[in-house]
Amino acid sequence: MSLINTQGLTKRYGAVVAVDGLTVDVEAGVTGLVGANGAGKSTLLKIFLGLLTATEGRATVLGLDVATKGPEIREHVGYMPEHDCLPPDVSATEFVVHMARMSGLPTTSARERTADILRHVGLYEERYRPMGDYSTGMRQRVKLAQALVHDPGLVLLDEPTNGLDPAGRDDMLELIRRIGTEFGISVIVTSHLLGELERVCDGIVVIDAGRLLRHSTTASVTATTPIVTIEIDGEQAALLGRLREAGVSVVSDGRLLHVDVGDEAAYDIVRDTVAGLGLGLVRLEQRRHRMSEIFTGRGADA
Amino acid sequence: MPETDDAPGTGAIHDIGYRHYDGPRLGASYIRRSLFLDTLRGAFGLGRSARSKVMPFLLLGVMVLPSVVIGIVAGYFGFDALPLGYTEYVFTLQVAVTIFLGSQSPVVISRDLRFQVAALYFSRPLSRQEYVQAKYAGMAAALFLLTAVPTTLLLAGALLAELPLADQLPDYLRAMAGCGLYALVLGGIGLVVAAMTPRRGLGVAAVVGVLLVLSGLQASVGALASEFGNDTFSGYTGLISPYTLVDGVVAGLLGAESTIDQAPPGTWGAIVYLTVALLLVVGCYAALVARFRKALS
Amino acid sequence: MSTVDLEQVSCWFGNVVAVNDVTMRLGPGVTGLLGPNGAGKSTLIHMMAGFLAPSAGTVTLDGRPLYRDQEIYREVGLVPEREGMYDAVTGWSFVLANARLHKLPDPEAAARRAITTVEMTDAEGRDIRTYSKGMKQRIKMATAIVHDPAVLLLDEPFNGMDPRQRLHLMTLLHELGEHGRTILFSSHILEEVEQIAGNIEVMVAGRHAASGDFREIRRLMTKRPHQYTIRSTDNRMLASAIIAEPSASGVELVTDVTGGSSIHVQATDFHAFIHTLPRLASRRDIRLLEVRPADESLESVFSYLVNR
Repeated sequence: MSLINTQGLTKRYGAVVAVDGLTVDVEAGVTGLVGANGAGKSTLLKIFLGLLTATEGRATVLGLDVATKGPEIREHVGYMPEHDCLPPDVSATEFVVHMARMSGLPTTSARERTADILRHVGLYEERYRPMGDYSTGMRQRVKLAQALVHDPGLVLLDEPTNGLDPAGRDDMLELIRRIGTEFGISVIVTSHLLGELERVCDGIVVIDAGRLLRHSTTASVTATTPIVTIEIDGEQAALLGRLREAGVSVVSDGRLLHVDVGDEAAYDIVRDTVAGLGLGLVRLEQRRHRMSEIFTGRGADA
Repeated sequence: MPETDDAPGTGAIHDIGYRHYDGPRLGASYIRRSLFLDTLRGAFGLGRSARSKVMPFLLLGVMVLPSVVIGIVAGYFGFDALPLGYTEYVFTLQVAVTIFLGSQSPVVISRDLRFQVAALYFSRPLSRQEYVQAKYAGMAAALFLLTAVPTTLLLAGALLAELPLADQLPDYLRAMAGCGLYALVLGGIGLVVAAMTPRRGLGVAAVVGVLLVLSGLQASVGALASEFGNDTFSGYTGLISPYTLVDGVVAGLLGAESTIDQAPPGTWGAIVYLTVALLLVVGCYAALVARFRKALS
Repeated sequence: MSTVDLEQVSCWFGNVVAVNDVTMRLGPGVTGLLGPNGAGKSTLIHMMAGFLAPSAGTVTLDGRPLYRDQEIYREVGLVPEREGMYDAVTGWSFVLANARLHKLPDPEAAARRAITTVEMTDAEGRDIRTYSKGMKQRIKMATAIVHDPAVLLLDEPFNGMDPRQRLHLMTLLHELGEHGRTILFSSHILEEVEQIAGNIEVMVAGRHAASGDFREIRRLMTKRPHQYTIRSTDNRMLASAIIAEPSASGVELVTDVTGGSSIHVQATDFHAFIHTLPRLASRRDIRLLEVRPADESLESVFSYLVNR
């Protein structure tokens, strides 16, 4: 089933066009949303939540029309804002229980699900302390918990790794992946960090100035190329020379060498030449396209 | 340990992974009611730290104590009427009510704005209007309790002093209506002022300041008007301060005695007072709804 | 020349020791400053910018102490993390004001250059309060480079920038580094640090944990065997050959979810292993399809350093 479907979605604020004729069909799973324009992103999220009426066009979320079924959509969608939104004098448990009830859960279910969800996001020990004491990582987890507690079919995560150090980011990305796979909840993640999106998303939607620039699966955007990247320990020059003599197409790139393995024999020639020259082979990897190529212009078209 | 044929296996691993929720999702009216109750409890610091209970309960005590004392004294000395009437009580203790309003309005409304929690509320089935309704009603309910409890205790004290119920009841009922109106008018003003100043300290000062200024203004203008002997004009000066406004409605419309000298003049006066009071309530509600439009993420 | 030297520098605020006995040298080129939250990176940067005095030790630029030296501010540009800008002026006037404060001979030209470099020419006439986070970052950047400083310090400069702006800034920093400027930037996004920083400095809990090229740092971690993932045309044969070698302490045949198989190797002697592998494969005519160090990345090095 389509998760989100838009047709010619447009939103204008006077002269400013935040969303411009967006037509896209997002499928279930973990999808990344990358946009060059901050205003467009928050406008889009509000439209998806049924909080803002579009100037033109239509959109459905989980099969529900955003123009008419706003409250019902919000029953089944979770939202994790980018900004700080937690009061400091309340504990995580109390806050999430309250939010669960604000989503329509009866008190008992709210309490049970809160305890469970806080455990799943990794915040079990500290759940009774006032949130003013929490670190950034813990706060992000609470924000995530309140978005999940009412068992939505879709969660919108707005820059969930903001402000987290590398370990925290890793944990959060892992959690997001789990939400999409183990928990069976579809995810839309906005981020400026393509490396992250490559790691967790099944697909990516790129928006530029309110328009759809690209919608691809991660697999197609990071497809392998017939180029193998090699890194050796030692002087490159001799290796370059021998490889070229052997008819292998190779290009030097700083510390790395890129070898065309269209003809598979190249693999063995490289191996034997490296061994023959007594060099160390640090790395041999198929080069993949990167998501960042969408923005630099190079790269395969999906 | 030897296994027998009829003993089943004794080990099991249970699934404690993520569970989906198939239970009821109660609609907007449940949510609004929950928020209303949470707001009411929060206004008295229940469900929060001990520190947040101090002020509201202290003020409740301040409101209640005089009514208890009056009841005891009336009983002991055998008065044949209460020294302080039901419809005068809240007005006389207005400073305590003002302080409660100032202290708790930020608790009810500013927190969600200051820490931008509003975005989380609005991403849920609750609409902006329903949110404001719940908050407003919660605050009004808290104020009603604050004023109705002592008023009722006054009645209890009067009855224990063996004053006849039939005599007490009309004024008591008028006062209860007054409590309801105080709750709505004061609640609206407190929340609107607090919503305009998200910083807590400033919110307290602003609410208290506004009410004190209006009270003072009314007293001076009213006194001056009386000096000049224009009864009609001075009768309308009560519109300036919310306390005199509500008192005026109760006096003019329900026939109670006005607590201040300047009573609303005649039937028209009463209608004007009532209209202003209702407009104020509606206006405050609309202002709050508008304020929260900006609060969407 | 533009070398920043920190000599046994500490900085404390009451009982909180933000920076603890750090000795560091910062030279031309781009250096990445890494560390968990609260490791003291911001404090370090502010000391280098001359805004904070060290509680102990010396912070100098080419031998001259930095703190409160007015002349030094000409040489140093700082892009702080916190917002702190005047909302009601336009981007252009803000940068121009900074140019004038630096007493530059031609402030308009300098401001023009700076704004063009950060690609904010289109929006320069608008009030700063209308800017998005990424735009505010770029204006901050402009004010930091308007006086063409020899040393540029950036505290989480990529915050809020979209992919295009990030690439642009990375290219800019790389170019400035190539031209001999001393650039230090702190970031949590290790993929980006890997791409433009030649050297890294790692702070953990206020201490200076490591410095240099991260690959060199990895080699220095001799107690941790290097983890390698290898795919070949005959994994089992190759695995048995590898384990026969002294440079490997462990070998594991792994099947992943899609059914593909690979070898995981623990190489205790990195240098010997990388020289041995091609020979082993060549001798047995096994084709190497993938040879991938699993923990050579900055990510792994960083997590090893932090969890020491």
